[in-house]
Amino acid sequence: MEKQKYSRRFFLSTSAMAATLAFIPVGVKAFYNNVKKLVIPLKEKMAIKLSINKAKYNLTVDTRTTLLDLVREQLDLTGTKKGCDHGQCGACTVHVNGQRVLSCLTLAATVQGKEVTTIEGLSQGSELHPMQQAFIECDGFQCGYCTPGQIMSAVGCVNEGHTHSVEEIKEFMSGNLCRCGAYNGIVQSIQKVAK
Amino acid sequence: MGFFKRKHEPKKVPEGRVEGFYKVTGSGKYAAEYKLENVCYAVLVGSTIAAGEIVDINTDNAKDIEGVLDVLTHRNRPQIPAFADEAKAKRAGFSLPVLHTNKIFFRGQPVALVIAETLEDANYAASLVTVSYKTDQAKVDFDKEHATVPIAATGKERGSMDAWSNAPHIREQAYTIRNQVHNPMEMHATIAVWDGDKKLKLYDKNQGVNNVQQTISRLFDIPPANIEVFSEYVGGGFGSGLKVWSNVPLAIMAAKQVNRPVKLMLTRPQMFTLVGYRPQSWQNVRIGADANGKFLGILHQAKHGTSVFDNYGEGITRISRLVYNFGNLKTESATVPLNLGAPTWMRGPGDCTGAFALESAIDELSYDIKKDPLQLRLDNLAVINDPDTGKPWSTNFLNECMTKGAEMINWKSRNPLPAQTKEGEWMIGYGVANGMWFAGRSKASASIIMQKDGSITVQTAMTDIGTGTGTGMQNIAHLELGISHDKIRIKLGNSNLPAAPSQGGSTGLSTISGAVAAVCDALKMKLAGYASLQDAIYKDAKPESIVLSDSGIAYQQAGNHLISFDKIFSKENLQTIEVEASSGPGEERQKYAFCSGASHFCKVRVHTKTGKVKIDRHVCVVDAGYVVNKLAAANQVSGAAVGGIGMTLSEEQVVDSTHGCFIGGDLAGYHFAVNADAPIIEVDFINKIDPNINPSGAKGVGEVGIIGAAAAIANAIFHATGKRLRDLPITPDKVLLAKS
Amino acid sequence: MRPFTLQKPTTIGQAVSGKKESAQFLAGGTNLLDLMKKHISQPDRLLDINSVLSEKIESTAGGIRIGANVRNSAAAANELILSKFPLVSHAILKGASPQIRNMASMAGNLLQRTRCPYFYDTSLPCNKRKAGSGCGALKGETRMAAIVGHNPQCVAVHPSDLCIALSALDARVIINGKDNKETSIPFKDFHKLPGTNPEKDNNLPANAIITAIEIPSNPFNKNCSYLKLRDRESYAFALVSVAAALQLNGNRIVEARLASGGVAHKPWRWYEAEKFLKGKTADLSNFKQAAEIIARETHPLNGNEFKVPMLKGAIEVALQNCLTA
Repeated sequence: MEKQKYSRRFFLSTSAMAATLAFIPVGVKAFYNNVKKLVIPLKEKMAIKLSINKAKYNLTVDTRTTLLDLVREQLDLTGTKKGCDHGQCGACTVHVNGQRVLSCLTLAATVQGKEVTTIEGLSQGSELHPMQQAFIECDGFQCGYCTPGQIMSAVGCVNEGHTHSVEEIKEFMSGNLCRCGAYNGIVQSIQKVAK
Repeated sequence: MGFFKRKHEPKKVPEGRVEGFYKVTGSGKYAAEYKLENVCYAVLVGSTIAAGEIVDINTDNAKDIEGVLDVLTHRNRPQIPAFADEAKAKRAGFSLPVLHTNKIFFRGQPVALVIAETLEDANYAASLVTVSYKTDQAKVDFDKEHATVPIAATGKERGSMDAWSNAPHIREQAYTIRNQVHNPMEMHATIAVWDGDKKLKLYDKNQGVNNVQQTISRLFDIPPANIEVFSEYVGGGFGSGLKVWSNVPLAIMAAKQVNRPVKLMLTRPQMFTLVGYRPQSWQNVRIGADANGKFLGILHQAKHGTSVFDNYGEGITRISRLVYNFGNLKTESATVPLNLGAPTWMRGPGDCTGAFALESAIDELSYDIKKDPLQLRLDNLAVINDPDTGKPWSTNFLNECMTKGAEMINWKSRNPLPAQTKEGEWMIGYGVANGMWFAGRSKASASIIMQKDGSITVQTAMTDIGTGTGTGMQNIAHLELGISHDKIRIKLGNSNLPAAPSQGGSTGLSTISGAVAAVCDALKMKLAGYASLQDAIYKDAKPESIVLSDSGIAYQQAGNHLISFDKIFSKENLQTIEVEASSGPGEERQKYAFCSGASHFCKVRVHTKTGKVKIDRHVCVVDAGYVVNKLAAANQVSGAAVGGIGMTLSEEQVVDSTHGCFIGGDLAGYHFAVNADAPIIEVDFINKIDPNINPSGAKGVGEVGIIGAAAAIANAIFHATGKRLRDLPITPDKVLLAKS
Repeated sequence: MRPFTLQKPTTIGQAVSGKKESAQFLAGGTNLLDLMKKHISQPDRLLDINSVLSEKIESTAGGIRIGANVRNSAAAANELILSKFPLVSHAILKGASPQIRNMASMAGNLLQRTRCPYFYDTSLPCNKRKAGSGCGALKGETRMAAIVGHNPQCVAVHPSDLCIALSALDARVIINGKDNKETSIPFKDFHKLPGTNPEKDNNLPANAIITAIEIPSNPFNKNCSYLKLRDRESYAFALVSVAAALQLNGNRIVEARLASGGVAHKPWRWYEAEKFLKGKTADLSNFKQAAEIIARETHPLNGNEFKVPMLKGAIEVALQNCLTA
């Protein structure tokens, strides 16, 4: 049963090993290839049911697919941004069950049964969410690439109640890097909404 | 894909940038976000040595992975036509390695490109490519290498160095800055789509679509008209998008190889090696003054790193030639080839580095003389003429920036002596420094398409990397035409639109505002032509005698001889009215020198026991001519100041000379400022029109917000602690170990 | 990432029996997925243990029991923790970012791997990542490296903030082993020094699962502080950090606790300094002496000597902060 997970083709894993093998007679090499094998793991697919922005999705995903790559590459929800892919910038922030989290460090298959909200699902119908409105009014962005993550995080920051002072907002928004440095407007947007 | 083409029109969009709605809803498409049928993914494999050559490369294991379509290496990649022979390669002006050689020049250099059905497949397969190398000795240690590189004069010497060798006050110091990396939040990405053999679509992250178009045209021997570059939304640049990097030709090669659209997005670590950085630098400044603090002379020497395959020079010493009056001046520079990736222009290139040394040296001198560093600067500013060319400044209000900034931060309250003000275990200090940037302008084109209802679309190929270009264009069109904002759409960032230069060096708005003004005039004249068929008064109309509004065209004043747009359109049976115009700098550039200026003021607190530096206040007052959009301009300046805070206190791409590489190349290892690092930045403008620079009177703001910021902070740290820190970044360890 | 199977055990027993050598438990995933994307960790099976582990924080006879799956942010905001063990909350809030704290589990926090750049770059030598390949940091950049407890095999430091507080408070790590019986490991014995096998960060048995963290009741809730010094104000790993806690009787120190992050391969307790402070007056002069004792224990590397004066400063400030907390 385990076998089915692997390709039938055998292969060597390192060039160092290949180099060593260059000095070994062909027959022995073939034998070696068969015995000292590293098998190719085949990708694992899973059928999953997700709820994203209140829409239901029945999908078959590679177990490796992150929530971030799923929404961006397969569902055309490109509002969620990839800024580092390693949990170091906050651009991919989404809400899972109302909590702000990083979609780059979340496997898509692990959010079954949970409600995922991306920037595309933040506003209700044709109305902008107050935080989106505030970001426009306070010019809380420049290039706009970190903006969806900032906004999702800002909504989390307000919901968590970390808005008592400029310093507190700044600390609790420090998980969202903005290389344009539009921090003035980001803080002002949050103050406006938190009022 | 214009900024105003909304999928779901909201009931009420708050006022703000033209593209604001798309940015806050995530619906604006950045390079890697276009949905294309049959797209596949490419992932780059970088070299793990810094110098040498590839002996063998094994891609079999990678190719065995399910979903892998191909793996390109220098052995099997499709030929880039321009690299067919040496002469062609030279002409193409593209020196970056793109799998065309087995030679390795830096660690991280692309050695293979894995193309697969999915990103997951491609990423995994990329980890299975193995390469064996012959390793050569790599040069990566700038400190070691620069000592061996001779320095040479740059720019004309003024007066003589001997003339002030006996000056009452002379200060000579060396200043160093480590490698710093742009790291825009959007990683460089390209989707390449071939249409047959000779047509190409590129969805690409860059700061100039026409530059990409021209470069790729030369490399692949395709007419520019056959290449369409889409860059409507650009997630920051700071200079990294001014050059076409290897990811673009590589994606094009891959798309050719597999005959499918290919998406290639760099990883964040690759952003540290493949798309430029601000090179490490060493500077020496000798500055002299008389007993009253009048500057007598300056020697400014600078060296900085470059790559071994592509010499890059930035004018670090330029700033010393511009801001203050130095009767005697000598500037010298050199570049130091290293086995690192190619450096490039990064926000305020050259001047940002130079200003740290110049403005620190002036500060040191001020304490030697015991003269207020603010007054010392004011007394020596060259606000009338550009000291280098002798031409009068068109406008230069740097003195007003200084005065206003001093008021804002309450400079008067500062104790003139350093290391005097304590709050518990914190020491408090104030610092000042100036920044200046040439106010450049290039030629650009723009067009307007008018609809029957009087709404217009103003368009140009220029990108908006976050500066607010589109909003500025809308404001200018509104001012020129009188048509209300909500009837003016903006379309940007496509190479099929009227040509424009790359957006960089704070020239974007200055350049495009001229084109917008020109095309607005062209529209007026075109409308006047149609109007004259109905009312003879329009026959000899000039642009200034035409008044447009949402209701139509009028003569000399609103409502006078009014003809509605509808009437013009129906009478002449028109669907749209289209005009295009170009505008560029003229002879004003012969008469005047142009600059933007900024004064930075900083209040810091420094913890005596831990070396921690906290910026309490940061004030920046800017002379940027007429401010077209105060909110966006202030955002630019405060953002640049935040960049300056990172540059000063934490940004460093560490080089490990033992292993010949950058260390910790990711956003956890490279610390640019987070929200909590910056106070609310206080920004103000002089806001006086520059009557000569362009029709809008606006000068650029993007660079001056960072040029000088580092020195203001370092000077404040000195004032707080009595410790002079001359090596950026000023991390807590350096503060702690420094002697006062 | 290397392909893997994703399974969801429903009981602790299932989780433990499924944990073969090439399998990994997945809770918050904030460190594991990062390592998998870098091909540093290449499990062929992930066991999503989110539904088998406790998310409860309970008061017990001897103190508090924090379920393994409690999220860092939940622990930091928990009333019981805030009132009885505020040091834990202080430390958590200095770690990572709000988003990561919302994801990361308490047990996972204990199992974070080092952030040494040589560990993270698979093309550089690192004994922790690849036994026998050498220590890249020792020959290269040591700025972030250890100043105590290191050996030529490995100079990496432990990255957690939470663990520094748990170390100071003598927590216990509750585990279920192969036989599915609950046992516990004292916190000081949980993480290990590099020794000859730096590839191992801790003494958790291969097949065991952390089910809870227990902290004994203590008198340190009034006077405690956590100080973290780093290259930027937030969202960065420590240069040095200090968890300090004092039990005071008037101005006299009844008992002191001092632990540090960013200095060693494991959370480091400063027992000598604690002993020194016991019975002394809580004043700056004694705090300075404690810092001196600590400094004498350190062995900085060529290139990270600054950590010693920085640590001394941090110790003094953290102790002073205990008085104003």
